[in-house]
Amino acid sequence: MSAGDCPAALASRAILSVRDLVVKFNLRGRVLTAIRGASLELAEGETLAIVGESGSGKSVFTKSFIGMEDQNGWIDSGSIGFEGEDLAKFRREEDWLRIRGRKISMVFQDPMTALNPLRSVGRQIAEVIELHQGLPPGMAERSAIELLARVGIPDPETRHRQYPHEFSGGMRQRVVIAIAMACKPRILICDEPTTALDVTIQAQILGLIKALQKDFGFTTVYITHDLGVVANVADRVAVMYAGKIVECGTAEEVFYDPRHPYTWALLSSLPQLGIKGRPLYSISGTPPNLFNEVVGDAFAPRNPQALKIDFVHEPPAFEVSPTHWAATWLLDPRSPPVEPPAAIKAMRAKYERSLS
Amino acid sequence: MDEASVIVKAEAAAAASRGIDPSLFAFADFDREAGERIGYSNYSYWRSTLRVFFRSRLSVLLLVSLGLLLLFTFVQPLIPGQKSPTVIYNDPATGTQYRNVAPGAQFWFGTNSIGQDLWSRIWSGTRTSLLIGFLVGIVEMLVGILYGALWGYVRRLDRPLTEVYNVLNNIPTTIILMLLAYILKPSFRTMVIAMCATGWIGLARFIRNQIVIIRDREYNLASRCLGTSTGRIIGKNLLPYLVSVIMLQTALSIPGTIGWEVFLTYIGLGLPVSIPSLGNLVNEGRRIMMSPELRYQLIFPTLVLSFITISLYVLGNAFSDASDPRNHV
Amino acid sequence: MLKYSFKRVAQSAVTLFIVVTFVFLLMRLLPVEGYFGDRYDKLTASQREAVLHKMGLLDPWYVQIGGFYERLMRGDLGTSSIYRQDIPVAEVIAPRIPYSVYFGLVATAISLVAGLAMGVHMARHKGRFWDRTWTAYVVFINAVPLAVYLLFIQLYGSDLLALPILFDKHRPISWILPALSMSLAGIAGYAMWMRRFMVDELNRDYVKLARAKGLSSSAVMVKHVMRNAYVPMAQYLPAAILATISGSIYIESLYSIPGMGGLLVDVIQRQDNPMVQALVLIFSSIGILGLFLGDILMALFDPRIKFVKSEGAR
Repeated sequence: MSAGDCPAALASRAILSVRDLVVKFNLRGRVLTAIRGASLELAEGETLAIVGESGSGKSVFTKSFIGMEDQNGWIDSGSIGFEGEDLAKFRREEDWLRIRGRKISMVFQDPMTALNPLRSVGRQIAEVIELHQGLPPGMAERSAIELLARVGIPDPETRHRQYPHEFSGGMRQRVVIAIAMACKPRILICDEPTTALDVTIQAQILGLIKALQKDFGFTTVYITHDLGVVANVADRVAVMYAGKIVECGTAEEVFYDPRHPYTWALLSSLPQLGIKGRPLYSISGTPPNLFNEVVGDAFAPRNPQALKIDFVHEPPAFEVSPTHWAATWLLDPRSPPVEPPAAIKAMRAKYERSLS
Repeated sequence: MDEASVIVKAEAAAAASRGIDPSLFAFADFDREAGERIGYSNYSYWRSTLRVFFRSRLSVLLLVSLGLLLLFTFVQPLIPGQKSPTVIYNDPATGTQYRNVAPGAQFWFGTNSIGQDLWSRIWSGTRTSLLIGFLVGIVEMLVGILYGALWGYVRRLDRPLTEVYNVLNNIPTTIILMLLAYILKPSFRTMVIAMCATGWIGLARFIRNQIVIIRDREYNLASRCLGTSTGRIIGKNLLPYLVSVIMLQTALSIPGTIGWEVFLTYIGLGLPVSIPSLGNLVNEGRRIMMSPELRYQLIFPTLVLSFITISLYVLGNAFSDASDPRNHV
Repeated sequence: MLKYSFKRVAQSAVTLFIVVTFVFLLMRLLPVEGYFGDRYDKLTASQREAVLHKMGLLDPWYVQIGGFYERLMRGDLGTSSIYRQDIPVAEVIAPRIPYSVYFGLVATAISLVAGLAMGVHMARHKGRFWDRTWTAYVVFINAVPLAVYLLFIQLYGSDLLALPILFDKHRPISWILPALSMSLAGIAGYAMWMRRFMVDELNRDYVKLARAKGLSSSAVMVKHVMRNAYVPMAQYLPAAILATISGSIYIESLYSIPGMGGLLVDVIQRQDNPMVQALVLIFSSIGILGLFLGDILMALFDPRIKFVKSEGAR
């Protein structure tokens, strides 16, 4: 099976490259294929957003970069190239300990539960510093206080001794970010970092991550279903559906010139793109049950304009521009012409007007 | 890595897929329901419960053998040629009692120290003990649900009922049982009443907590806002949790009851000796356990008793696990 | 913290008062014949009345209970009426306390150490061989009545290990079997709860973060999961103490240990009210003290408790 990839121009600076990754889970004797051959190239210093609805596999996909699939899950095939090693080959915990937290860090969705409630926040940060930088506890504590100050916790001298329940949700997420920053990772994965937070706090947290990225120079991967977040922060966007990346391009390309019917559907359902007086578009049906083998294009059953071939053969990735590709038969020259939905066309028109 | 080879140009893709029938590049009929169907997993609570339960070979094995044992217990007196559990048998040759006859063709499990047939006594005792167990289990269940429901629903009763709970929960069960059994004088009814006195406490607390949760948990609030009737909320949201715990409590109360019966018999507060029960049999066996050749009188009743209690315990837990929706795929 | 402890002390005292009163009233329901033992038939009606009068059993119940609490305040537990006639209860019980305390402490210590270790081991090997093996042990101990398996331990344990079958205070070797017997249920209980709490904690999000931080799985276990699992364990300390008491009543009687548990069996059978009341008071106090200690331990370990109480924070 041939797989698509993000821009070749970026490849030389690629920090992480995933090829045909297949992740499977064993659930009570049945095998579920959560990631069905996903490929992705991550360029040094960029901000990439992986979007998709719940259950599309975006979390599982990124967790496999640090070997944190659940116990019943495993990488079945494919490769994850990072610093000249193939992370997909890692089996022993010692291998992962060189990567986790040191080279690749993760920020989780719910800051209310991500911290150990019975240990002070300072301790939880200092623990990482002691571990990865080998500092003695006293110096690690100093370091932790500095980090707390850096992520915008007021009065870190007193607050580092406090427990998570004494912090608000936004403050806790800052602490989680401080923990992720503690070892100056090369890649920061943010798994829905603002979903559990108030709208006003969301912008602050996104701003904080942006500022830290400038200072520390790490590469950021956002996992989100919130396209508003994507528009705000992402350089590039990868759209995930049913365990595969179906379209990938710069943020502008994906927003203003999307090619995959699933991306059309996803964007059309944005309230901002709704046309006054008409009902808001919504995608009918549900994502496929990944216990069953998916034949052809996984989105076909929900796509009103699906081709016959979508039910038979899996579409390869077609290049749209050097930085943009999509896996859909619509890009095959033999396909009948299909117009994108009105909302998408309106977007593109608006964009083209703004360019000229 | 050779990046260029992975990127698929339109022409290359077309070339790679040249063998594909060109007629496939036409619109397919859109079936709105197909989109729903693919994600539908056809879940049914009870079917999943049973599937998870029967997946364990140990559970099935225990269920079948326990079922057969119970069946046999109640069928045994109807089988022709069975001896009476209470009659004292005499040896026609000498005219004396068959005392402590070792297991053999005439007395399959031997006789006890006064010449009664151990085989039929064991089945008779099992019937008695199971009967006590079931009665106690049912009463505990009813009292527990009633108390728990009042405790959870009627806010004014919360304080006094909590106090009663604290008191009963703080006296060691042994002491309550011993006092009650003594005050009421040993009999079948006494045993049942005494043992019902404390077993319902755990269930009552559980029901109360569930009701408080039903009142406050968000998915139930959401259900209510969507116009779901209380009956349906109880049936769909509460009952699955309750069933598992009620089954577990009832299944565990039988081994528990048998255990307490043995204990009460040991300290002389059990059933009268004239009624064979597992407690009485174990106690009779205990008295003569110092002579190794008579130990069969202790071992046979213990084996039956242990098989029943272990099976019920394991099955109760297995069912409770199976009926927990979190364990369903 | 101080205010919280004070509140809990007051609460415990009220519970204890209700428990003792409840048992006291329950005892008044006993048939009066029991108070005379073998002498019942030998005495005339007026003689019986005189005895009951002397015991204070003919007074209205509130007078009886008032008198009981009044004497209790002075540290007087009353006098034994039948078991050791006219000897102060305290004097009968006092020499037995060391045995019960010794066995109670040893059994609690053994079950804590072995039970927690077993629970941790089970959680670390969840679903695999050792988990199954220890689970079989827990199932066996919980399912088979205590009164049955302890009998077999006494019978075959003494044979196999060449240990004395009865307790003899001059032979330390005879202490082993009863102390071990008393710990078995506790070990199973602690192991089961510890396993459950560890598994609960393992599924928490903070464990994911701790792993993502780069902590090795053994560091996550020791520094986070185990530490956190100990906190809810504190709650079960009292339950385990209560279980030890229940077990000790049977075991003391089985091995003829001259402790308080065996005594309780004797005095209930012989209907010695003052003795029963005093022993119930002692046993219930131990149970309530256990609950109290459990709550205090929880409050000490869990920083959230104090604040939840005062601020109502989430």
